[in-house]
Amino acid sequence: MRLLLLLKQAVLLAGASTATQADILLSDAEIAQTLQHGPWPQVAQTDPSNRFSGNPNAIALGQTLFHETSLSLSGDLSCATCHQPEQDFTDGRARGLGKALLKRNTQSLWNMDQFRWFGWSGDTDSLWAQSITPLFHSDEMAHSPQSLHGLMLGHATREQIETLTGPLDTVSPEENAANLGKIIAAYVETQRSGQTSFDRFRDALAVDDLATAANYPKDAQRGLQLFLGEGRCSFCHSGPNFSNSEFHDAGVPYFLAEGGVDEGRHAGILALQSSPFTLNSAYSDDPEKTGAWAVRNVRFNHANFGMFRVPSLRRVMHTAPYMHDGSLPDIAAVLDHYNTIDMERLHSDGEAILRPLNMSQDQLDDLAAFLATLSDDG
Amino acid sequence: MIRFILPCALGLSALSPAHAEKLPIFDAHIHYSHDAVLSVPPTEIVEILRKAGVRKALVSSSDDRGTQLLLEAAPDIIVPALRPYSRRGQTGTWMHDPATIDYLEDKFSKFEYEAIGEFHAYGDDIKTDVIQAMIGMAKDRNLILHHHGDREALDLIFDTWPEARVLWAHSGFEDPDDISDALNTYPTLWADLAYRSEMASYGTLYEGWKALFLAHPDRFMVGTDTFAPERWHYVGPHADFSRSWFEDLPDDVARKIAYENAETMLAAK
Repeated sequence: MRLLLLLKQAVLLAGASTATQADILLSDAEIAQTLQHGPWPQVAQTDPSNRFSGNPNAIALGQTLFHETSLSLSGDLSCATCHQPEQDFTDGRARGLGKALLKRNTQSLWNMDQFRWFGWSGDTDSLWAQSITPLFHSDEMAHSPQSLHGLMLGHATREQIETLTGPLDTVSPEENAANLGKIIAAYVETQRSGQTSFDRFRDALAVDDLATAANYPKDAQRGLQLFLGEGRCSFCHSGPNFSNSEFHDAGVPYFLAEGGVDEGRHAGILALQSSPFTLNSAYSDDPEKTGAWAVRNVRFNHANFGMFRVPSLRRVMHTAPYMHDGSLPDIAAVLDHYNTIDMERLHSDGEAILRPLNMSQDQLDDLAAFLATLSDDG
Repeated sequence: MIRFILPCALGLSALSPAHAEKLPIFDAHIHYSHDAVLSVPPTEIVEILRKAGVRKALVSSSDDRGTQLLLEAAPDIIVPALRPYSRRGQTGTWMHDPATIDYLEDKFSKFEYEAIGEFHAYGDDIKTDVIQAMIGMAKDRNLILHHHGDREALDLIFDTWPEARVLWAHSGFEDPDDISDALNTYPTLWADLAYRSEMASYGTLYEGWKALFLAHPDRFMVGTDTFAPERWHYVGPHADFSRSWFEDLPDDVARKIAYENAETMLAAK
């Protein structure tokens, strides 16, 4: 009797196992590709170029400064005016609005420690340098290094800042700007998105826990298969952060409504080359100049004109509208863009992986279902 | 790039003999296609060309209307070429469409051209009836063939018409050794450098490319390749980029690549 019971249990378990495997649609090759998109979250590492990175006092002060409208010359703009924490650090607008309409969509600030280049055009190579950029942009905070230095000498946070940086009146205006950028960056880099249902699926696959993996919805699995295969999305949206952190022509027009064009990476390289605030500069706190090889080796390329950095897809469902100019209002529009991409906009020897996807509506729905599982971390 | 930024930023432009006069450019690879016509009016195009110091431009356009509009607006600058298809999306199929012949004949009956192209063709594409007929039309009119394709196709073009004047778009995207071989093989072959920036970095030519330009000083020319409408705004930066590496060449070679070679090619009828 006891033997019969054990045999019955074995049969039931074997049946359950077969049913679970049937619930996983991915091939072994697709599973191997899926594992490349994790683990998540990545282990947080401090930024060696920013001596305030990971410093709790700097993080707290950075959060204060992030919301500080007095950092703008007009006194009414802060970082949080555009990068609104309650809106996933975006503003919901197609293009940002500072003192005037800006050229580009306000990007989210999640997981910034995962990028090599910052901003749509990669005009900076560190988060602290990127944090300085709006302080001096004429249509944003509109300061000069000198006016910002003067402001901070009389600012309510001066004592807190000096606790970190030493006396403000002994540093140059440029060093003051670098210090402020680093304190703000110390806060921003702590904004990391959480584990999503995709990550739980991926981690379960990593340990052959098919029972847990089977909880991942079928439509999301089909969407993931399209993302990895037919859609070729993972060529650019690669790795745990779903971005290769580099620049591509996605076939999106880049004329500006007010005239001229947004030169994208072309302008980014020019700005990078003329910036005093790079990882290769004296303002980097890293004696090893880790990561400075990139700015030292960046080369100009005709294809750069009109290229923009590949955005991360983490929490993507919460960061509409999309593309560098916010011209696509929702995910459906983005998928339609790639489904019917205008090849006439692309050079025949340029972005070789792009071509119209010609997917059915069911396939597009599956892709959207997959993307939603990169955004459900609460 | 930085070599042409810094002198301006530092106000040094008058101190360098190479900068004493802005070298004029013959832009040998430029398009004003149907979508560009809708986005950038001819008057603005002409302003962009003049501001960039482009004194001549070999213009071809998908549907040709743009070329004619520009020719009307700036006959002193525009050198018209006829693209054998009306949409860029036809780059891989046009040679199989018999209607191409009618299209070309219709255009030749109405307008004058200096070249046919830029046309895309690889390998055996050249053997198609359409391209053979097109080469025949070029031969009848002694027109330049502006060819975008591989060496095999290039060889077949010269097999078909050994005396052809061919402008090899993008230098075939080949490396310096292979470009040199093609130029040595065909004395009436010229090569444009459109969409190629790997020859120089920050105004300094890489060794292989510099040797190539010095070995074939009469055969190269530059081109912006405005394949998308927005890229008309790149004509100026492209000209400046070219001028930055021209400074790494002897003055006479720089002048040839900047504009003289293209003018010689046009005159070599």
